[in-house]
Amino acid sequence: MNPEGVTRRRIRFILLLMAGAVTALVLQLVRVQFGPYAPVFAARAEYGSAIVERVVPARGQIYDRNGALLAANGTMFYIEIEVRQLTDKSKKDIPLTLSKLLVLPLEDLYTQVTTDWPALGQYRIRLTRRDAEGNPWPLTVDKTVAEVINGFLADPLAPDLSGLDLVAAPKRVYPAGTIAGHVLGFVNQEGQGFYGVEGYYDEWLSGKPITVHRPFIPLEARLQPDPPSGVNLVLTLDLAIQQMVETVLKETIESSLAESGQVVVMDPRNGEILAMAAWPVLDPNHYEPWLPDSVEDEEGNPVITPGVAGTYEPGSTFKVLTMAAALDLDRVKPETEFIDNGQIEVGGHIIRNWDGRSWGQQTMVGCLEHSLNVCLAWIASDRLGATDLYAYLNRFGIGQQTGVDLAGEVSGELRTPRDPDWTEPDMGTNSFGQGVSVTPMQLLTAVSAIANHGDMVQPHMVRQVVGPQGAYWPQPTVLGRPISRATADTLTEMLARSLEGETRYAAVDGYRLAGKTGTAQIATEKGYDPKWTVASFVGWGPLPDPRFLVLVRIDKPATAPWGSVIAAPAFQEIAERLVVMMGLPPDTSVAQLALGG
Amino acid sequence: MGVKAKRTHASRQASWRLQVRWTGKTMLVVIIVLVVSGIYLAVNARLARAGRDMLSLEARRSELLRTTSELNAELASRTAPDTMMAKATALGFHPAQGDDVLFLTVDGYVPPSDFVAPRPPADTENGQPMLSPAYTETLGDWLMRWFGQEGDAS
Repeated sequence: MNPEGVTRRRIRFILLLMAGAVTALVLQLVRVQFGPYAPVFAARAEYGSAIVERVVPARGQIYDRNGALLAANGTMFYIEIEVRQLTDKSKKDIPLTLSKLLVLPLEDLYTQVTTDWPALGQYRIRLTRRDAEGNPWPLTVDKTVAEVINGFLADPLAPDLSGLDLVAAPKRVYPAGTIAGHVLGFVNQEGQGFYGVEGYYDEWLSGKPITVHRPFIPLEARLQPDPPSGVNLVLTLDLAIQQMVETVLKETIESSLAESGQVVVMDPRNGEILAMAAWPVLDPNHYEPWLPDSVEDEEGNPVITPGVAGTYEPGSTFKVLTMAAALDLDRVKPETEFIDNGQIEVGGHIIRNWDGRSWGQQTMVGCLEHSLNVCLAWIASDRLGATDLYAYLNRFGIGQQTGVDLAGEVSGELRTPRDPDWTEPDMGTNSFGQGVSVTPMQLLTAVSAIANHGDMVQPHMVRQVVGPQGAYWPQPTVLGRPISRATADTLTEMLARSLEGETRYAAVDGYRLAGKTGTAQIATEKGYDPKWTVASFVGWGPLPDPRFLVLVRIDKPATAPWGSVIAAPAFQEIAERLVVMMGLPPDTSVAQLALGG
Repeated sequence: MGVKAKRTHASRQASWRLQVRWTGKTMLVVIIVLVVSGIYLAVNARLARAGRDMLSLEARRSELLRTTSELNAELASRTAPDTMMAKATALGFHPAQGDDVLFLTVDGYVPPSDFVAPRPPADTENGQPMLSPAYTETLGDWLMRWFGQEGDAS
């Protein structure tokens, strides 16, 4: 065989081998692309090319009516351990460092770090801390501590923290601290809002999280979509007024040695809540310790926003509603006379005045001024009757939720003749605010009808909703007109005269105000508490066109039980400051300004 | 004798000429392939760098948004009512009482307009390409587009 022939055969052989290899490659390519395992290969390719991530939008911010930031977004860091990256040294150094840095029990951290997690099928764990009851909570650190830990991670001479990872997560921040804490509610670590504004508008504030594929390969990098953002809210609240009201409430609680209290300030013309304070205060930045000690409502939920969830028997402040009903039906007039002999029988039940005295001949103004239970029970039983009384209370929204945009609102309780457990004496006691429970917001809403010339407005907390498309301004809603304008103005005038007399503690120089005190006993399972009361005051002004309506409620004051002694001065202090802060000139200035002075 | 016959004859006479010609042709093909590959490589390198920059910028954007939010909260915290009240008290101020205020009529005074909160960012469209099609278009795509345009033009 000649050498040329051998060479040719060798070349053909090699070419054949190469052709075979190429054919095999093409076949494999076809199999991978179109064969029965094609989806599996596609999924593997997808898995290796991108990370699937859940993107949570920034939660909407909350502002007061003047633009002060009430709720913003900060950052917290979860401490996670990548178990496979732990070294023998870091297993000791991590618990030791964190224990010293965060003042946490060393044993618990050591157990968490050294547990054989891979045997349990876990390779990445999130460290936890335990509360007083031993419940585990995810361990989080703020930015300052995170910077210290990152410094350790970068420093070869620092403790070995191999395997430790800080994972950033959004955290709700309330820059004003405890101020308006009860109104705002709070957001938990999972980003869910509870109570107050955070709870009511949770869906709007939180936006919509989305899932994105974030490719590892730069060639396939795409502009990642932003999830639909949560809206920003502007509240009707005025932070300066809120702070002033909280200060007055705190001073009142401390001076009267009371247990708790609330103040709500509303603009009766449109239902805007200007301030809503409660004591004890709640710091939504640190809400966890507060929860176990909180009072529970009728359904066993913690009362975070007492202004809408804390029910009480209103006592004498309720008398304005009974009087309003009688005036509106023309069953009494301001000058109608009543002889008070100190007691009256309604349905077999004897009702007496708050002081047990008989006050003799009184007009309706006197009945309100001296807060005579007997007189109001007479109006209810003799002038109105059950049908009319409860019809009016229903029109005032008693026993119903106001619909205020705050989570956790309850409806209170009012037994009517339709209820099987209603009895005739209820009519007598209900007339002066006993045997009926309301929330401060409910009573304020009812009284807004009197302060606002007959129109009862819906209370609301949000003034403006701002989304990516623009701003939306909710309009004031009139819930109804339970009484006529004439009745409302007449009753306001009666209460103004009453304020200038008996309850002078609530008067403010230069301004005409109207209001009513309340001193209510506290119902318990064994009847009324013999010692403690709820002292309250509801007032509005300046007349004739009120710009503010204030309700003060002080629970269990120890220095004196009376609304006129405890709550009325608080109202006076608030009203004195309100007229300045709201720029409301005194009557003398108004007269001078009208004359061009 | 024609030209073709002469060339054949010449090639037969000098085989190195044939080899040179084939080598030249092969080298031309190789050079074209190398040039195209080089261009491809350069484009891909720029593309990769742009993609990497984009990923970094996205991360930076998230961080800046977070920082902005934190700074806003910090600013709000430093101007919180309690803090401002303490500072004002330390400077000798006290809350104004009714007697401290004088009300005047000022002709033409326009009260400040209501505060309007900033709009939250609008959501972008899903999966919008970040890079110019000039970077991501393959040679095949380009040829298809080119021939497509030629076809449309004719």
